[in-house]
Amino acid sequence: MRKVIGAFLAIALVAGVAAVAHRPGPAGAQGGGTIEAAVTYAGAQVVEKLKVNKDTEKCGTEAVIEKVVVGPNKGLANAVVSVPGAKGAPKGMKATVDQHGCKFVPHVTAMTPGELELKNSDDILHNIHTYSTANPSINKAQPKFKKVMMEKFEKPEIIKLTCDVHSWMLGWVAVMPNPFFGVTDANGAAKIDSVPPGKYTVEAWHETLGKQTKEVEVKAGQTTKVAIEMKK
Amino acid sequence: MIPSLTVLAAAGLIALSLSATASQVAAQAGNAAAGKAVYERKCAGCHGDKGDGKGPAAELLSPKPRDFTAGLYKVRTTANKVPTDQDIFRIITDGMPGTSMPSWAVLPEKDRWNLVAYIKAFAAEKFKEGPKKLELPKDVASSSASIKRGKEMFEAIECHKCHGTEGRADGPSRAELKDEWGNPVPPANLTKPWTFRGGAGRTEIATRLANGILGTPMPAFLDSVEKPEDIWHLTNFIRSLGPESPPRYATLVTVTAVSDAIPDDPNADYWKKVAPGTIPLMGQVIVDPRNFNPAIDLVSIRAVYNDKEIAFHLTWDDATQSADEPAKKLYADAISLQFPPQSAAGLERPYFLMGDGSDPVYLLRWENGRGVSEATANGPTKIAPLAGAEATGKAVYTNGEYRVVIKRPLGSKDAASPAFRPTVFMPVAFQAWDGGAGETGTKMSLTSWYYLRLEEPQSNRRFVIPPVVAILALAVMLLVVRVANR
Repeated sequence: MRKVIGAFLAIALVAGVAAVAHRPGPAGAQGGGTIEAAVTYAGAQVVEKLKVNKDTEKCGTEAVIEKVVVGPNKGLANAVVSVPGAKGAPKGMKATVDQHGCKFVPHVTAMTPGELELKNSDDILHNIHTYSTANPSINKAQPKFKKVMMEKFEKPEIIKLTCDVHSWMLGWVAVMPNPFFGVTDANGAAKIDSVPPGKYTVEAWHETLGKQTKEVEVKAGQTTKVAIEMKK
Repeated sequence: MIPSLTVLAAAGLIALSLSATASQVAAQAGNAAAGKAVYERKCAGCHGDKGDGKGPAAELLSPKPRDFTAGLYKVRTTANKVPTDQDIFRIITDGMPGTSMPSWAVLPEKDRWNLVAYIKAFAAEKFKEGPKKLELPKDVASSSASIKRGKEMFEAIECHKCHGTEGRADGPSRAELKDEWGNPVPPANLTKPWTFRGGAGRTEIATRLANGILGTPMPAFLDSVEKPEDIWHLTNFIRSLGPESPPRYATLVTVTAVSDAIPDDPNADYWKKVAPGTIPLMGQVIVDPRNFNPAIDLVSIRAVYNDKEIAFHLTWDDATQSADEPAKKLYADAISLQFPPQSAAGLERPYFLMGDGSDPVYLLRWENGRGVSEATANGPTKIAPLAGAEATGKAVYTNGEYRVVIKRPLGSKDAASPAFRPTVFMPVAFQAWDGGAGETGTKMSLTSWYYLRLEEPQSNRRFVIPPVVAILALAVMLLVVRVANR
């Protein structure tokens, strides 16, 4: 009898350790490394401006369509940096896109498959019109009294968000297969934590400039810097 | 007895099958291979051999023919994106009002089911998931309270952003609207339910509101109204914006005789008392540049005359008020009434498209920004203003609708201009331009010749003579009776 219990305990212990070792994210941070990506673009900023003919009290009189936003030192904002080859179960992170000032905020949202919270803080009608292939595309009205809507995106892909009422509104939702991703800030920087050690291809995606990749090696407990230059 | 029962039952069955409409027809499994043969003969001209909506005629059409390879269907009764076979069959059978898609009820029913099978095969993977029936909220019958609530909801969910305050498709987002293929797509004019793509029935409207129109900017509202039954209140309100049935087109414009002064103001209550005639217009496709997709499809006309002048009150929908700005490809909105300069019985009418070299026409024209003018035309590109024109007019534009009053003396000063005489049948034709849609010159909507007739002048005699005759007759009778009794 004691032998049986002992064997059971041993199996349980091994299974438990294995589970911990395989769990990515902050819990497994002791085994992971960090990627600090710097995404740059040498070209010029592309920002289109449009005169607004309605809802000016909410949208302003001029709509700004930010197709390519370049910050100091050629840093490219709004690029999604990811490590497609890294193994790790998606963790339950809440992703939110707000429709504020007749813009999608943030302009680019990255999330793991699951629910996306869509807020309307404008107090006017918007409609969420998505362009996607793997996930069913949607076109749902979100009138002023419907402050929050939840939509499911189950499959990894990059989805375009538009609003037909305000045609200049443009946003992107990157649904990623694993939790190792980041969106570059105004300086073109993105940080990805707790990446399991190993050799990977890091991918940067930008709505206008497409994709670039770079090989990296991530070591446990270390920060790996990677510079990616986007080209037209 | 038994045979007669059989006959009765058979007759009943025939009657039942005759009464069944397309939407009630039970789905049949179509044969895609047989459908292909029909498709290539009847459909490929617009929808293309590959089903991609790029047939040879496609470039002339607006809205564009459906791209079947995308598997996106505008009109469906399902909660997901997959239409039922009946949905596709119904559109083939009934056509799509307001578009170039005609009714194909002329094809045998079997052919239409075969077409359904073939059309689905262009995007077979989209049909792997079966259709899921849309459950509409419980029906709410139309009533003034329901219509009132519908109007509140119409404002709360901001339908006017695209469809306009009064539903005439003149909302501020109109110019920005594009379908998923990037083609401009105007919002529906809610005051013309007979042009609704998916039908004007209440269930059809409620379904479009609930699940949207796929591939277009029209979103789904089922989860985006305050209460589920608001879908029906909205439906009842939208239905109240247009007439019960499609307009009956006039063949004769009757000009009412009046004795009082005729107001200039197109919004005067005076005009509401005059019965309108509705005239359909078509695109001008005879001379280049042609207008295959005219913006103005009908004009309502009210006409009166008194002893001095004749007045025309014209009403039509135009979603974009525009004046001449050729740099922006915008032109002045305009309308014109066309008459032969001389009208006598038996006289041959000039060519309806603004006359020709030998036979001119007289035009009574209003243009946004320029007002009313009179002209002589020897064809659509040879228009010369008339000297000493006396016509006047006034226009108002509100929420996607023009109302214009054009007045002119009854008599004529010269041979280039007609005189209007009571009881004479006089040819009349109409032309209209929506400058905001790029219509100018020969790019117009027009009609062929119609007739106009000034009704007989009214006089008070009709109120005086019959009573006088009656009194006289009574007096004679009394006299006869008295003489007889004597």
